[in-house]
Parts: sequence; structure tokens; C-alpha cells
Amino acid sequence: MNLFGKTSELQLEKDASSRYLPVVISSMIFLAALALAGLFSISAAVENWSSEISGNLTVEIQHVGGDAQDRKVEEVVSFLKRTPGVETVRPISVEEAASLLEPFLGRADIIRELPLPRLVEVTISENSPVDLNAMATTLNKAIPEARLNTHRPWLDKMIVLARSVQFLAAAIMLLISIVTVIIVIFAARTGLVMHRDVIEVLHLIGARDTYIARQFQTYFARLSFLGSLPGLAFAIIVMVLLSLLAGRLDATLLSAPTMVLEGWIALAMLPVIVALLTLFTVRWIVLSSLKRMM
Amino acid sequence: MVRFENVGMRYGMGPEVLRDINLHLEAGSFHFLTGPTGAGKSSLLKLLSLSHRPSRGLLTLFGKEASSLSRDELPELRRKIGVVYQEFRLLDHLTTLENVALPLRIAGVEEEQISRHVEELLDWVGLGNQVDARPPTLSGGEKQRVAIARAVINRPQLLIADEPTGSMDAEMGLRLMYLFQELNKIGTTVVVATHDLGLIRRFGYPVMYLKSGTLHHTHAEEYLQQFDRSLY
Repeated sequence: MNLFGKTSELQLEKDASSRYLPVVISSMIFLAALALAGLFSISAAVENWSSEISGNLTVEIQHVGGDAQDRKVEEVVSFLKRTPGVETVRPISVEEAASLLEPFLGRADIIRELPLPRLVEVTISENSPVDLNAMATTLNKAIPEARLNTHRPWLDKMIVLARSVQFLAAAIMLLISIVTVIIVIFAARTGLVMHRDVIEVLHLIGARDTYIARQFQTYFARLSFLGSLPGLAFAIIVMVLLSLLAGRLDATLLSAPTMVLEGWIALAMLPVIVALLTLFTVRWIVLSSLKRMM
Repeated sequence: MVRFENVGMRYGMGPEVLRDINLHLEAGSFHFLTGPTGAGKSSLLKLLSLSHRPSRGLLTLFGKEASSLSRDELPELRRKIGVVYQEFRLLDHLTTLENVALPLRIAGVEEEQISRHVEELLDWVGLGNQVDARPPTLSGGEKQRVAIARAVINRPQLLIADEPTGSMDAEMGLRLMYLFQELNKIGTTVVVATHDLGLIRRFGYPVMYLKSGTLHHTHAEEYLQQFDRSLY
């Protein structure tokens, strides 16, 4: 067999069915690469949200009006400062809250007149073993108007959503693998039928099944490997373009997809994985078909 | 070496093409196999070359019973058998040298040895100047010589030839029969399927003839006399 995958005894390169295999593999790898990139980007995003949110808490103090409201804020601030593991405590002023709500509710001077709850921003020290549920209960007992918001329910929902998308991407990957295997089986079976006469001659002059299978598996694995390269390259170009487009969107959650190192390694491994998948599929199908011949 | 005991053969669910075949080929013997077209010669050669298994009876080759052979044992046994097919069955995209070298390559012989042996043999069969030619560019007789060279290159213990001299001139036909004789002298069992009465007359080896799917054994002289009588 030479560098370009030409077989010595079985002229597999002459088969029309195997000639189109690289094109099909290329398309499959393109889809698989996008699914894989989605899988790793979402995983990175979930990690990012989780680490950002778990260190940040908000204490919400019910509206009680007048000076009592400020006193409650001070009580909460002093309670939190005494709590071990709390790094920073920053009360949000009425003005700041009004300006945050201005884009949604309208003029800030009117918002200031509304019975809004007061907020206190809390940061927990990294790696601090704070029991947030115990902290929320103690705070609520000490100051009944105050309620600790850990953002956990929101984050949990986001994680469920992200995991669902990840599961979908993994299912797409599985589907692509199954389709690839089916296509490879079809091409190998066609090759077996087309070269039946030569295979029979090889058998009769003493060739083992593995000798014949080796020619099939090497040829098809090479085709798959070479076919997967343009698909992967095209997928990377599409990913870069998507990343640039997402980067232009001014949204906090829909940040540009970022791929971790493991993601890039997985992408680089795709042609090798598809070549190995082809190699073992072809070997299995050829050996099991040859067993039915004398 | 080869023993058939009440062997029958059929293709799929079809009728039996060979019935109650009994034969014993001793190591180093030479036999002609003949019979009218459709009598079952090709089917008997398929059984001998381990291309098909018998539908019934006992077929023993090199001391092993064919129906009990495992798939792993088949290649080793087939390497002891050289077959010259009537339709040559050469690989058209390979050169003469590559075609003849194929059994040695498959057996894992070193390249240096392969090229030496193959070139020697091709010289002997008169194809020394055609080593790089491909079968489609060769004449019928040349293709047949390539097929014969491929069958004998690994010095088989059993050589089966189906009409080996059918496509060549008388001189080359004789030359190749002498090659078979040489191989026979060093212990190869030879079975030549032929319709050529001239060959049977000239070499006088025992004759096995097939008639309506059954095998009969006789001497060359007796067979020729029978044949002559059947004409009148």
C-alpha cells in the first residue's frame, strides 16, 4: 500500500462507494466538531457562572420606611461583618438602587419614592467553609426583616438548562458516530462484494482473513482520516466566526463561546478517533463477512 | 495425501453434481482427470483445492479431514496446494512478477528471496522479458504460463491444473508438462484436468474420468481404447 492509500492486491480505490466516503466523513466531522465545541463551551460557561455566583450573596431588607430602614441596614451590616468567612459587606444606597432600576422602571427620582427593599452586597472569602443555610437562618432570627439571597435556585435552573444542552450535544455526537459507522459498514460491504473474486483467489493461495482485512481497514481508516481534516478545519473557521459574532453581543449571559484546553485537544483528536473507529468497524465487518466464505 | 470416501457435493439446495466419489492420491503420484463437459470436473477440483466443502462423505487432505478444519487451519493447508485455473484468475492490476510473487508474499517470504525465485521461474517459463507486463497485455498462452508459475512458485505438495496447456502452442505445452513432471519427481502430487488425449497418450499417467457425477479410475491406455471404441 502506498502513501495515498492504494491497496496492493485489492484495488479498493477503484470503488465508487469508497470514493465518496471522505466527503461524508468530512460532513460528519464538521457536525461533530461543532457539537463538541458546544459541549465544552457550555461546560466552561457553567463553571464560570458557578464560581462567580457562589461567592456573591445579596441580603434583602424589607421596606420599613424612614430612619428605621437605615437602622436595619446598619444592623445587617454589623451582623454580617461579625460573621466568619464574610470578606466584604457593601450596602447599596437608595440612589444606587434607583439608578439600577431606572432602565426598567423609569425616572430615578420617582423610583426613590417607591417602597423598595434595601440591598446589601456580600462577598464570601474564597474556600471559606460558610454554611449559607445556617447563616440565612441566623440572620433571619436576628433581624426578621432581612433575608439572605444565595442566587442558588437561579443558578440551579441555569445549570439544569446547560446540562440539558450538553446532553443534547452528546446525543448528537453519538448519533454522528452511529451514522458514520453505518456508512463505513456500507462502504466496506460494497468493497467486499466488488472484490469477491480477488478475495477468493487470495484465500485459495493461502491468505488469512486478517491479511485481507488489513488491506480494507488500512485503506478505509486512511480515507476517514484524510476526509476528516477539511471538515475539522471548516468547523474551526465557523467556530471562530460564531465567537466573533457572540463577542459583539452586549449580553452578560451570552458571552462569546470560550473553549478550554481539553476542548481543543478533543477537537484535535477527532480525526484520529474517527480513523480508529473506521479501522475497528471495517476490521470487524470484513472478518465477520469473510467467515461466511470458504 | 488425498482421500475421498463416498464424497458427494451439491451447490446450495441444488442436485448433487458429484456422487459417491472414492479416490486415493498417494504422495508423489501423477493423475489425469478427464470427462465430458458438465461431468463435474470443476467441482471435483474445487473440493481438491479446498475452495468448497463436500456436502457428504469424508474428504481427507494431508491427514486432516476437510469438514472438521477450523478457519485458522485452512490457509496453511491451502499453501500446500497450487492451483492453475482454466480462466487463469490473475490480478490484472499487478505485474507478471507481482502475480507470481503473491503466494510467497502472503506466506511472508523475504523480498530478496521472492524476486530471485520469481525471476528464475519466469525465465524458465519463457516470460523473463515480461516481468513488468500486466495480464491484459499478455496473450492467452502467456497468461496461462503466469498462472502456472504462480501455482508452483511455493513448491506445493499438491498441484492441481485445470486445462493447463489449453491456451498455448504444443511446444510450450510440453515444456510445462515437463515442469510438472520435474515437480512430481521431487514429491509433488499432480492432478491435471484435461481434454487433450495427446497429453494422456504421451505421458501415460493413470486416468480418473468423470461420467454423470461419478468417478472412475483406469490406465491411460485403457482409457484411450475405451474412447476410441466409443467413437465407432
